[in-house]
Amino acid sequence: MKLTFSAADEAFREEIAGWLQRNLCGEFEAIRFRGGPGDEHMFHEQRHAWEQKMAEGGWTCIGWPKSVGGRGCSIEQQVIFHEEYARAGGPGRVGHIGEGLAGPTIIAFGSEAQKQKYLPGIVSGKELWCQGYSEPGAGSDLANVKTKARFDSARQQWVISGQKVWTSLAHEADYCFVIARTDPDSTAHKGLGFFLVKMDQPGVEVRPIQQITGTCEFNEVFFDDAVCAADDMVGAPGDGWKVAMGLLGFERGVSTLGQQMQFQNEFNDILRIAQQNGAAQDPVLRQRIAKAHTELKIMRYNAMRMLSGQAGSDGALQREALIYKLYWATWHRELGELAMDVLGPESQILEGAPYQLSRLQAMYLFVRSDTIYGGTNQIQRNIIAERGLGMPKEPKPTTAGTQ
Amino acid sequence: MDFTFSDDQRVFCDNVKQFLHSEVTPERLRSGWDSASGRDDTLWQQMVDLGLPAMLVPEAFGGLGMNELDFVLLAQECGRVALAEPLVETALVATPLLACQAERDTRCASLLEKIATGERRVAVGHAVNPTVSDAHVADYLLLPNGNEFHLVERERVKLIPMQSVDPSRRLFKVEWRPEEETRLVNGAPGVAALAATLNRGALGAAAQLIGLAEAMVEMTVQYTTDRTQFGRAIGSNQALKHHMANCAVKTEFAKPALYRAAYTVSQRPVHADFAVSHAKVAAGEAALLAAKNCIQSHGAMGYTWECNLHIWMKRAWALDKFWGHSGFHKNRLHQWLMNPNAKIGADKTFGEQG
Repeated sequence: MKLTFSAADEAFREEIAGWLQRNLCGEFEAIRFRGGPGDEHMFHEQRHAWEQKMAEGGWTCIGWPKSVGGRGCSIEQQVIFHEEYARAGGPGRVGHIGEGLAGPTIIAFGSEAQKQKYLPGIVSGKELWCQGYSEPGAGSDLANVKTKARFDSARQQWVISGQKVWTSLAHEADYCFVIARTDPDSTAHKGLGFFLVKMDQPGVEVRPIQQITGTCEFNEVFFDDAVCAADDMVGAPGDGWKVAMGLLGFERGVSTLGQQMQFQNEFNDILRIAQQNGAAQDPVLRQRIAKAHTELKIMRYNAMRMLSGQAGSDGALQREALIYKLYWATWHRELGELAMDVLGPESQILEGAPYQLSRLQAMYLFVRSDTIYGGTNQIQRNIIAERGLGMPKEPKPTTAGTQ
Repeated sequence: MDFTFSDDQRVFCDNVKQFLHSEVTPERLRSGWDSASGRDDTLWQQMVDLGLPAMLVPEAFGGLGMNELDFVLLAQECGRVALAEPLVETALVATPLLACQAERDTRCASLLEKIATGERRVAVGHAVNPTVSDAHVADYLLLPNGNEFHLVERERVKLIPMQSVDPSRRLFKVEWRPEEETRLVNGAPGVAALAATLNRGALGAAAQLIGLAEAMVEMTVQYTTDRTQFGRAIGSNQALKHHMANCAVKTEFAKPALYRAAYTVSQRPVHADFAVSHAKVAAGEAALLAAKNCIQSHGAMGYTWECNLHIWMKRAWALDKFWGHSGFHKNRLHQWLMNPNAKIGADKTFGEQG
């Protein structure tokens, strides 16, 4: 155990802090502290430009190996990067699905050709990705995907048909990674493939879904004979589930570090308001504020512990990692409730028409999705109990994987 | 000792419930979000025809002469359908305030008669609320100024619209100047009127919160019965059953607090603070838990604008903070409990507790 940073790490901290100070200004001043949870629809163009600015400075994909265009940063350095990025008010990253999910999956499971074709666009901050997993009939039961991929041997390409849903940023993305059924007679997690699909083609239609925040961050994506070259399947037909699950491991890994720092910024906002409006004098609210803070710190310590012990590059996680999603999502939802109670009666007044939420109001609504996406709290508890603690599995339904 | 409602009270409530269910649909609520006033004059006139705004107006002024206990079940039903029209604020908050002053103030008497016929409408402000709701469709506003209530024509005030987190609500900051001639009540009677208004406002909000909570659970029970994953209805999973059961426990245990508060407001209004605060806290907790668990049980669908659930969730969010948020009411409970003369002995479950 070593809970301090080395001199080299502190030098790294100065480097990133200095770079942010010199660059997150001028045309980018307006997007400081913007584009976070509940605000992710704002300033897309400017944040995309910022992503490319980050790339010029070598600050995208910093945890990736240098051989694939990353910075090869240690876990400690990535921790420091996220701390400084949050402290400077770095905007929500539009490239996070590519950098955090698609890229690591391609690095772990992709071919050399796929690495050469896709990774540079992610590193440069130019090409954006979205995730084609959930379907109307495949939410918690993700393996129940119905989207089909049929191989057209004459043209040497896959032809994909089906519907994905809750697809974040599909309307801005250049590519989508899609799980689809390569074997039409298969059920559940067998017979799936993992495809890298170009969004700008006739067979792909994106329809926005309005959220309870009134904004549209996620979408329905319709594939109607969309095509994907044979070379753009990751792994072999039937490998889709293995690749998809590896990716979910990445979703629960390093990419969460930045999120905690965003939480810290939200907490600081709430604390400041409580001090200004007198809520901090209320004994109940004082205790809830203190509780939120201790739990945020616990979350942070546990993330460090988890990352220190992370094994292998396949995204496989150790037991303590299983608890993380449930913990942060539940904590964040409570933070939203705390924010509204600290604001009191003023929490019901919007900033303006039409339905212009303040950052904390947007957060209060957005956190409702935290306990749902990427595996609901209920699914997380099953995973903890069954995989983490070894409790008996739930009985199988009589008609597995059908509706 | 009898917690049951009378047959008359239940039958009246059932009739209103049927009316509200057939007239106040989610589609109608949504259409109100885009209209200029957000209010539906046809619907209001229908409610006038049923005598609803005049339920607590004394018979001498053309009303039904009923009391808060008679109205509380109706207020619950208003919450159940997420009614946007200010029926609860009018019938439970505004008209009793006017009725109190009617004997010595002819303006109030005449106004009550016109509320009963639907010719006039009134909105009510209070220091605990940063805004006045539905001031734009009111002909008169009842506005607090220190220990006074004033009755002010809408033409004499400036309304600044504020956007609510609940798209159905219409909120306004009011700029106005108190005049001698607008003053309705002051001094000790003014203090009493302000206190009684707060209690009736909080009682009405609590009742609606219970109705909202039950409606959210009902639609979620339906959804989790219809939606399948892993080859079976998602509602067959214990985790979701327990979510709904927890809501039912909170709601059912908030109801007696609500009914006790309604009884106390109608029978012993000066001793109602404790009972009303208890009801508002319990109902707010029940509604917010229902909102949280019902969205969770709907999964991503519950997070969409298209799904009707957020209509109820946002009303719960707004009403939990209106007429005193939970911290305000918990502090009132605390002050009451810490009073050295508080009547909290074993023999003091009911009766005078002030």
